[in-house]
Amino acid sequence: MLGIFYLELLLLLRRSQEWLYPLAFFLIVITLFPLALSPDPLFLQKYIAGGIWIAALFASFLSVAALFDADKKEGHLEQMLLGQTPLPLLILTKLTAQWLVTQLPLIILTPLLGLLFHLSSSVIFALTLSLLLGTPILTCIGSLGVALTLGLRQQGVLLGLLILPLVMPILIFAVTMVQQSQVQLAISGPLAFLAGLSILVITFVPWVIAAALRIGMDD
Amino acid sequence: MDVLEVTHLSCIRQHKTLFTDLNFTLNAGDILLIEGENGSGKSSLLRLLTGLSTPQCGSIFWRRQSIQQLGTRYGQDLHYLSHQNGLKSELTVKENLQLTAELHANALTAFEHTLALLQLNAYQNYFVHQLSAGQKRRLALAKLILFPKTLWILDEPLTSLDTATQQVFLSQLEAHRKKGGIAIISSHHPFLLNAHTLRLGSC
Repeated sequence: MLGIFYLELLLLLRRSQEWLYPLAFFLIVITLFPLALSPDPLFLQKYIAGGIWIAALFASFLSVAALFDADKKEGHLEQMLLGQTPLPLLILTKLTAQWLVTQLPLIILTPLLGLLFHLSSSVIFALTLSLLLGTPILTCIGSLGVALTLGLRQQGVLLGLLILPLVMPILIFAVTMVQQSQVQLAISGPLAFLAGLSILVITFVPWVIAAALRIGMDD
Repeated sequence: MDVLEVTHLSCIRQHKTLFTDLNFTLNAGDILLIEGENGSGKSSLLRLLTGLSTPQCGSIFWRRQSIQQLGTRYGQDLHYLSHQNGLKSELTVKENLQLTAELHANALTAFEHTLALLQLNAYQNYFVHQLSAGQKRRLALAKLILFPKTLWILDEPLTSLDTATQQVFLSQLEAHRKKGGIAIISSHHPFLLNAHTLRLGSC
């Protein structure tokens, strides 16, 4: 299992566009908010957290959109289905590597962005924590969408329609968490919800993706 | 007892019947050569036999158990080589072998000998996208030798191989047969002696 994890990481790091594009996209979208809304520091302090979350959400879709594409084209997916390693475990490994390479850089960058927008340290902490707990859910649900639409034409559009409604609760809890920290309220409520959802999704979604892939390859 | 039994198998693709009521039994040491024109359903038949696709009707039994029931346990005995080679192009030759070994829950040992046999030893640290089509095919065939399994299902294994490698493959196939292995091969080349032949005609 560790061997597969290492090889997956290697693959993702060698395809630099996999982690470079979402990261660049994330940064560019965030710089659009002050330009489009208002450069007023007080306004940005209040609202930029939501902007960062929306940017993270789209960046995460961008990163998973081509997830099983190469595997399918190269015939590796069939070998995964026939292999002796349990498929859900294999998918969990793949998703972990995917998250580490595409989402973690973005989370590491967030405190820096927080400083740029004059956020207080407690808000930066809440924002980073919400991303740390929320982005694994985005990766999992996004990958599920990809697995369900694998091999369809116009996959991208359908993916958005399929997935965005499903991740709205994540956005709501995450932004609530940040807003509560802004007015010095306890963040444990939304934090617990987000953490619970994260554990639930990480536990079950690999099985669902495995089933979706099996059905998808059965043609 | 290693037996593959196919009963009343039918395949319908896009409202076109490719074959109906196909029956055959393969015992240890049997090789089945599947012939037929393009689009006659050779690859579809092979996919059905791997269990990746579910047949519209008919059943496939491996060691007297339906492969649908066997599920992933069927994979323990099965090597499947499709048109795509199942290689990751951003990994090197050696890393690809490691990945295959991991997927088959096997340790990668003594692979140099196999690579030498397939004339790939000098390319160990080359990325797969740097290899030629024939070299990729050879690397895909390496798993047959490295991780011995009873049942081989191979879709056009000789595509883009040179004559020397074709001979290597045929001698490996013969060794596989002698050990009591079963092979199902689709091919346009009538190259095999002592093989059963199944001709898929257009219906």
